[in-house]
Amino acid sequence: MRTEKPGSIRERISQNALQFRVVSVFFSFVVLFALFAFSSKNFLNVQNVKVIAFNASLLIIVASGEAFVVLTRNLDVSVGSIIGLTGYLIAKTAAAHLFGGVELILMALLIGAILGALNGLAVAYGRVPSIVATLGTLSIYRGITYIIGHGIEVPSGALPRWMIRGADATVLGVPFVVIIAVFIVALLTYLLRNVPLFRRIYAVGSSPAAAVSYGLRSNRVVLLAYIMCGTLVGLAGFLYASRVGTITVNLGRDWEMMALAAVVLGGVSTMGGSGNLVGVLFGAMILSTIDNGLVLAGAPEFWRMFIQGSAIVAAITVDALIERRIRSVFSHRKA
Amino acid sequence: MKKLVAVLVGVLLSAGLVFASGTTESGASAAKKGGYRLFMNPKFTGLAYFEVCANGAKEAAAELGDTFVYTGSEQADVQLQVQSLQNIIAQKPDAIIVSAIDLNAVAPPLRQAMAQGIKVVSYDADTATDARDFFVNQMSYEGAARTMLDCALLDAPQGGEIAFIAASPTSPNHMAHIRIMTELTKTDPKYQVFKPVATQFAADDEAKSIEVAVNLMQAYPNLKVIISSSAVSAPAAARAIETIGKVGKVFATGVALPSSIKSYLKDGSQKAFFIWDPAMLGYLSVYAAHAALDGSLKKAEGATFSAGKLKEFTVGKDGEIVYGRPLIFTPENIDQYNF
Amino acid sequence: MKQFVRRYRWELFIVAMLAIAVIWSSGLSPFYLDAQQLLYSSRNFVFTGIMAMGLMMIIVTGEMDLSLPSILAVCTVVLAKFSSWNIPLALALPAIVVVGSLLGLLNGVLVTRLKLPSLAVTLGTMGAYRGLAFIIGSEVGYTSFNGQYLWLGASNIGKSAIPTMLVVYLFCAAVFVALAHFTTFGRRCFAVGNNAVAVRYSGGNVELIKTAAYVIGGITAALGAWVFVGQFGSARGDNANGVILGVITAVVLGGVDINGGKGTVGGVLLSILFLWTLRNGMGLANIAGPVEQLIIGLFLVISVVISNLPEMEIVRRIRVRRERVVSAPDKLR
Repeated sequence: MRTEKPGSIRERISQNALQFRVVSVFFSFVVLFALFAFSSKNFLNVQNVKVIAFNASLLIIVASGEAFVVLTRNLDVSVGSIIGLTGYLIAKTAAAHLFGGVELILMALLIGAILGALNGLAVAYGRVPSIVATLGTLSIYRGITYIIGHGIEVPSGALPRWMIRGADATVLGVPFVVIIAVFIVALLTYLLRNVPLFRRIYAVGSSPAAAVSYGLRSNRVVLLAYIMCGTLVGLAGFLYASRVGTITVNLGRDWEMMALAAVVLGGVSTMGGSGNLVGVLFGAMILSTIDNGLVLAGAPEFWRMFIQGSAIVAAITVDALIERRIRSVFSHRKA
Repeated sequence: MKKLVAVLVGVLLSAGLVFASGTTESGASAAKKGGYRLFMNPKFTGLAYFEVCANGAKEAAAELGDTFVYTGSEQADVQLQVQSLQNIIAQKPDAIIVSAIDLNAVAPPLRQAMAQGIKVVSYDADTATDARDFFVNQMSYEGAARTMLDCALLDAPQGGEIAFIAASPTSPNHMAHIRIMTELTKTDPKYQVFKPVATQFAADDEAKSIEVAVNLMQAYPNLKVIISSSAVSAPAAARAIETIGKVGKVFATGVALPSSIKSYLKDGSQKAFFIWDPAMLGYLSVYAAHAALDGSLKKAEGATFSAGKLKEFTVGKDGEIVYGRPLIFTPENIDQYNF
Repeated sequence: MKQFVRRYRWELFIVAMLAIAVIWSSGLSPFYLDAQQLLYSSRNFVFTGIMAMGLMMIIVTGEMDLSLPSILAVCTVVLAKFSSWNIPLALALPAIVVVGSLLGLLNGVLVTRLKLPSLAVTLGTMGAYRGLAFIIGSEVGYTSFNGQYLWLGASNIGKSAIPTMLVVYLFCAAVFVALAHFTTFGRRCFAVGNNAVAVRYSGGNVELIKTAAYVIGGITAALGAWVFVGQFGSARGDNANGVILGVITAVVLGGVDINGGKGTVGGVLLSILFLWTLRNGMGLANIAGPVEQLIIGLFLVISVVISNLPEMEIVRRIRVRRERVVSAPDKLR
């Protein structure tokens, strides 16, 4: 990316080009909303918006974790299994009434962090391509969940009441989990923008070679990204267990695809190095809106997949076209 | 270097062998001399309902002196079930007891099994009629439909809008239930207070069921009861009602294991669910398989056979054996059941 | 000889693993080493194996395609439609080859013309195509087929136990070996995966090569659909759902570099054999699915880590230290 004269208008605009992506995601979201509002009278009301946000909140957290990894030009397809393993362990522990609330949450974060760290070690230090490593851990973590669980589920009645209540709680009418999700996105966006340790994630992703010659320990940065991902997904596992109530060993299956979809829809580039979490939040909201809108419009459920898939392709296309346009306008260099 | 790798992985695989044998399903350890070899293949092993069925089946096998193996895929995936059936057939069992995810997809391997002389008994969810010898149905489809509507009446005696959640459009029992329930609301005066408004599918997945239930309540603000034939979706719908804060306005009912809805009955948010005893369903299917093998059960309408502590059963049309003993759970009686 | 070993390190490795797997599977279950059983269960890897070959060409050019199983689903429901209209198989087959090619072509165009990142785009087309399959097939799908459609997937060669689809698979394998290693096109695919810029500067059409790879992928999915329909007698939107990760595993385990440019069809074929042997043996021993997956997952990760050992920093440091000790006397000169 060409560096412009600091302070020039061109520089400010090309900096904000990144923000523009978020705007385009938000714009798609609004358009989608409007479409559904037309197709069903029950769609456009506060309660429904709350429902959409509620359904999206867990995905937002998981997708934020995935975004960390994607920003470093890697992938993590094991997030579904991390949700499963963490959620199941938490459910079992909670049902045994061994620990209190804070300990349980910390335990979820810790388990997630460890699982994420294992991924990161394999990718950064074991030099295993990220698809391969996380494909492997997807199976490994799921297998462990199964062996621990022996196929038995933990019924919702066995979970402590505070967990269930907490998952449903609302603050001033807004579901608590939505507040958590928004808070996390805000916090992480701040970290990614201002804390050098996290800014390096962008550097490593946009050009690993340059980052290395610049002196960045890219291994450590990638490891950090995976640990962040695992921790966030662990938290999501905890929340997911509280929300669903009945925990089976199949908890969280196929979430990796949804997380990737939200990340991609949110304007995060799979080439690494660009994108932000606010976009991811809206990406998740788009997916949730589609699900909700289709049920409300009485459309057959299988249209959902087609619409979601097409939305992803459309979003990436628009995104790429816009980015290219901006770059060609502001770049002096010809190809 | 490569030699080192080969050795290392060989060690790993051998370790895996030792480790995996320890987690093999029950059969190998329960091997008894004599008796038949019976394999039970559920829709998927991750569901408590099927585990309970298997427990009853194991009990029956032990009583009869048969070897029993419980095996299947852990996901509700048609192709995986076909593969696990093929693996079972390759082990030359005497009888296969199966609950089919998709009635047509599992038919080819089952027909082949029958051609090899293996007895095929379906339970819980039937396959194509010509692909099995007998079908042990927990309840006649009509019986189940009526019972679910009765539960709905307990929830909302004044009637109202109702919606259905099923596993998938190809689950024969769920779709039959929905079809009959819809008919009954038109023809039977007792049930005419209900108006079915929607059917949604949740693939026996909790999270999906919750999402679907929440969206249903949004789409139909006057919804009164959500009825679900799937033992996963019924408790999930109850959870969804609690989550969205509509306790007392919307009710969930349908098929559910008592352990998964105990808390809802106790705290008063729900009023009634039903099921049949899955252990006894499994028990009955093993007896049916055994009787088919030793010839005491003939494939003719009206034939009878003895099923241990469940006493006598009669074969109906097309080889269907109906267990037919529903249990309705209410806050009053829920404590009696511990499965 | 040494050249041979060095060039085909990974493939020989898989052969060794295959041998161990066969021994292990035989030990796991007495039912394993039975010709009829082996032939019958070989049907389980045919349609994924065919797609793995198609995916390999795409990965070799440095791209990715997550949508192949979805293309398969579209083709199965299209076949079902043709069957219900009583169209002879001879017409229906070319039709789905065209359908598969078109869907592959769309992927190719999105990636090469619009220059969209292939992983993200095929994530989208994966869902879109599957949705398309559902729309064409409706929720229920089809289960009754004209006999001739089922022939490939359901029959055996004459009166033997050899499944017809196995023969087709082997034929396919031969075609791909020739395509990838003995044609100019194949060589260009590898070249593009290695260094697309160099290919462009030397006059090659990178876009065309990549698009062709995608079209080939689509055709393999169509062929897989034909096999699938006969094997399972079902055509529904969710056919082969979730299979993509298994296909990727087969390709990667076959020694194909995920960044493109390296790999052999032989390696992929061997890895498919290997995975099948493991799964078959474990299945016959009634080992639960997740445990099976766990073992395969462990194997996948550990084998790649071990094969990377020479390049890993830690090992390099140890080697440097060792060399320093050995060559110390030289410093005295």
